[in-house]
Amino acid sequence: MPETLDLQSSMSTDEKLRKLDSGNKVVDKTQRAIQIFGVFLTGFICLLCILPFVLIISSSFTAEKSITLHGFSLIPREFSLSAYDLIFKNPKMVLGSYLVTIGLTVTGTTVGLFIIAMTGYALQRPDFPLRNHISFYIYFTTLFSGGLIPFYMVVTRTLKLKDSYFAVLLPLMMSPWLIILMKNFLKSIPHSITESATIDGAGDFYIFLRIILPTATPALATVGLFLALNYWNEWYNSMLFLSSKVTYRPLQLFLYNTVNEAKYIRDSAAASNIPAVDIPLESMKMATAVVATGPIIFVYPFVQKYFIQGITVGAVKG
Amino acid sequence: MKMKKAASLVFALLLALTMVACTTTPSGPATPTKAPEANNTGGTKAIDTSKFVTISHLSLGNKPTNGQYEAVKAEWDKYLKEKLNCALEIQYIGWTDYMTQYNLLLATGEGLDLINTASDWLEMWPNAQRGAFMELNDLLPVYAPITWNEIPKDNWAETTLNGKIIAIPEDQYSQWINHGFMYRGDWAREFGITQPIDSWEELGVYLQGIKDNKSKDGVIPFDISGASNIKALFDHYPVSKSSLICIDPVQSGLAYGKSDAEWWEVRSRFFPLDDGTDLLLDFAKLMKQWGDAGYWREDVLNNTADTWVQFKAGLTGIRQHHTQTYVTAATELEREIPGADLQWFPCSAESKNLVRMSITHGATAIGANCKNPERALMVYDLIRNDETMYKLFNWGLEGVQYEIKDGKRVKPEGFITDSHSFSSNFWGGRMDKFELKYPNDDMVANWKEIYDTYETYATPYRYGRFVFDKSPVESQLTACTEVINRLLPAICVGKAGDPEAAVKELRDQLKLAGHDEIIAEVQRQMTAFKNSLQ
Amino acid sequence: MKARLKKLMKKKTLLFMCLPAIAFFFVFSYLPMPGVWLAFVQFNYKDGIFGSKFVGLDNFRFLVMSGQLWMLTKNTILYNLAFILAGNILQVTVAILFNEMVGKFLRAYKKFAQSVMFLPYFISTVVIGVFAYNFLNVQTGVINSMLRQMERDTINFYSIPQLWPFIIVLVYLWQYTGYGSIVYFAAIMGIDSEMMEASEIDGANAFQRIRYILLPCLKPTFIILLLFALGGIMKGNFGLFYNLTGASNTALYNKTDIIETFVFRCLNVSFNFSSGSAVGLYQSLFGFALVMTVNTIVKKIEPDYSLF
Repeated sequence: MPETLDLQSSMSTDEKLRKLDSGNKVVDKTQRAIQIFGVFLTGFICLLCILPFVLIISSSFTAEKSITLHGFSLIPREFSLSAYDLIFKNPKMVLGSYLVTIGLTVTGTTVGLFIIAMTGYALQRPDFPLRNHISFYIYFTTLFSGGLIPFYMVVTRTLKLKDSYFAVLLPLMMSPWLIILMKNFLKSIPHSITESATIDGAGDFYIFLRIILPTATPALATVGLFLALNYWNEWYNSMLFLSSKVTYRPLQLFLYNTVNEAKYIRDSAAASNIPAVDIPLESMKMATAVVATGPIIFVYPFVQKYFIQGITVGAVKG
Repeated sequence: MKMKKAASLVFALLLALTMVACTTTPSGPATPTKAPEANNTGGTKAIDTSKFVTISHLSLGNKPTNGQYEAVKAEWDKYLKEKLNCALEIQYIGWTDYMTQYNLLLATGEGLDLINTASDWLEMWPNAQRGAFMELNDLLPVYAPITWNEIPKDNWAETTLNGKIIAIPEDQYSQWINHGFMYRGDWAREFGITQPIDSWEELGVYLQGIKDNKSKDGVIPFDISGASNIKALFDHYPVSKSSLICIDPVQSGLAYGKSDAEWWEVRSRFFPLDDGTDLLLDFAKLMKQWGDAGYWREDVLNNTADTWVQFKAGLTGIRQHHTQTYVTAATELEREIPGADLQWFPCSAESKNLVRMSITHGATAIGANCKNPERALMVYDLIRNDETMYKLFNWGLEGVQYEIKDGKRVKPEGFITDSHSFSSNFWGGRMDKFELKYPNDDMVANWKEIYDTYETYATPYRYGRFVFDKSPVESQLTACTEVINRLLPAICVGKAGDPEAAVKELRDQLKLAGHDEIIAEVQRQMTAFKNSLQ
Repeated sequence: MKARLKKLMKKKTLLFMCLPAIAFFFVFSYLPMPGVWLAFVQFNYKDGIFGSKFVGLDNFRFLVMSGQLWMLTKNTILYNLAFILAGNILQVTVAILFNEMVGKFLRAYKKFAQSVMFLPYFISTVVIGVFAYNFLNVQTGVINSMLRQMERDTINFYSIPQLWPFIIVLVYLWQYTGYGSIVYFAAIMGIDSEMMEASEIDGANAFQRIRYILLPCLKPTFIILLLFALGGIMKGNFGLFYNLTGASNTALYNKTDIIETFVFRCLNVSFNFSSGSAVGLYQSLFGFALVMTVNTIVKKIEPDYSLF
């Protein structure tokens, strides 16, 4: 029987994981069968997920003439760096968009995650009298919405945020979905922990900060990841609120414009003295997609490490 | 428990309601500060310009990202500071989702001074009716006196709503925006076409020629993309094959005038005409023929590529647009493909059915919530009438964007389209007196002949002052627009199956959506309009 | 009342912890909410939303007049149900399968596979549309090029409506399985390991463990996700549909048109905020009624699982 883990143990989390894993040496036949099936099914899905990416990457390195005449292919028919040359020859737009998006994502995620965690914790406390009321208050906003114009008016007239990055940062910070998700994750932490801490004289906020947060790593990682993705992918609020007066607009809006408007691409290629016809339109669309998505792919495996460990460590003998 | 929840919700909503009501400040028309005794000739002397303000101009199109906007703006700001103690900035609305952005800005009325508008594609009248623009009657004579005096009373009537002037028409700028087809002269000659194409059937011969001779090189005879371009094919067919003239104020081309002679008789292009001509069916049959012959790419309805780029790469043989575009496209193509010899087949050539452009195809209005309407008008007056400001705002910097050589406007040596081009997209006050003084060298050599030909048979635009009140048939208009958007594109590229069946379905659906009520209502308002003119 | 207030004051820290969220939703959701009145007026910019002329249900008429409303509602609901059911089932399956992968080699594979499965989520629907076009189109599409090389008949995807429900659902699954399975995976991790160990000692094999312990423990998560999704059952994933099918392909409409693409076609020529608002209200009311009904039912059966 595998050992149960002590929260206060001095072992590193890596060691704890190894201990847990090794404790489960006996894998019976049924589990093996499931594992084999699992690998095949997930493997197939992974293939489907990777192929389009290979296509994007390959196309971004294909000469435009080849694409116009032969379409996309998994291996570049005619290798060419012209799409990337173009993007990085006028790097200001891309770089600026990157910095804006990263800035928004990091700021929005950290602040938003903290508030969501705080709210989620308070709402799952069985001894909090208003929790059902506030939960309903929050959930109701998913059912009804005032619509585009009232929302636009509130942001531009009441809050006066037109052309300000806050118009993109603030509305995305919280969502009812994430709060309720967080609430549910935190529910799995036994209330007894809170009770014993209260007896020891700790205040609610202190308990939240010092005791709950450290053990809720998986919840934080999951919700944080979703929140960060919301910021990374957002373009709509940017289109609504950031006019042409704002030079650097978030990455996805830039990408959206690029894919939709050939002319926009030609402007961006301005610094390279390439006549309009030779602008690698299609391959540039793909290259922009790579440039926009690329970094996030490397963030995910990094985050994943934290979230699995945390969950395992969080198992406490009651 | 449940009551409490409901009660707290209602309370929250009431609170929100009061807050919203408080924050939506009623926006009445700004009271103009009447300047004492302003003279008619350059009355800036008596007007107070001691406060420095920045005026904004709302333009459609993409902002130049090559630094030229900032460069040119610096110049005109210098000039404006000296003349009017103000600065001018352009707010560009990118082409992506431009209707949403444009209408949102007008609806919420934030920070808009000069606004580019148009009665035929930017909904000048509906927006005026919804109160988006400021009334200019008292302001114009004082703050834009030159403009005020040079525009005849009849023309002012075309931007007047219930006695209130809501925009300034671009009435002294020759533009021919009649549509047609651009095709390659070199290929046409290859296929044995020696005279300029002047009918759709002949165009079909040209397309067949491409299909037979150029398909092996991957050329698509008629590459087209985007729903609006596809639907436009049925905008142009009636022009070529009948005397119908489009009543622009009614959306989606739902109402046409029978002919120039009987412009007050309202007809529909979707149903057979008085003399039995069935435009839609003939069109559907022709397009089906073209579709079956393979003139369009197979999945044309889902294509999103830029077909002008394809054209310049030699991958297609037709570009559909208007005269204004043709005159500069010809020289652009010559640079990319020397010898291509871009030719022009205007739809009006077949039928001599050509209506002059409405003078409100371009117009400038002032936002209802504009804080400095006086200065905005003064800036407009300057742009429109002062040669220095006009050149700066419309053409850019002399020596960078253009040069004057032998009385023509040419691109300077070393000009690179992508690094040096600049456009303010000012389409609400261009003037022939400057444009034709230094005609653009980019225009095709025979532009004057084309214009002169048009002059011989063009008819005036009859509906300039017709303001259509949509409210009695608003739902029907929306429903019919949806039917057209849904069913027409496939018919336009011959992908709707049997033409008879497809046409019948479109007609049945239009009738269901209230088409007849729309025609009746338009006729009613048109008759009243005609009577009011007498 | 006083007693209640006193009880609340004891927990005032908790209340303060909720304040930022409460303020946030007040500003961004409740403040604009009365603006839904826009659906019932003839919007005049000068008069504002509340000063404009009241016109009752006029703005809703175009929905009914086209005769399409039933088809659109049906399509929207069916697609969403397909997304919810197929999506969740696949996500739970994947999460459970990943959970069973123990041992060094499988753990590494798990990490790799989960990252890869996440990738599609990042691709914007516009790019997906471009891809789909480049995969499926007859002239230059990948599939048809391969078919031509193998000297078989090409498939004209964009002209065969029956294929599209499958195509759309598959694209949806492709895009969201990785993302959605994370929630279930996290939920599985939160299951008390003692229960799992005890079942092994009792001699349960993997199948039985999954069936009798894992699945029941995932039920609350599933129900919450379901309830959440039901509230938005009338709202379509506009980006997905619009970019995959284009807006002008008549052949595909009956099978792929949802309320939002319909509205887009209505209003992209002549802008009408009131009509847009009316449609939004229709969607909201529908979702609201549905959620209230289902939540009440769930409450009666299993009060712990209801949303509120």
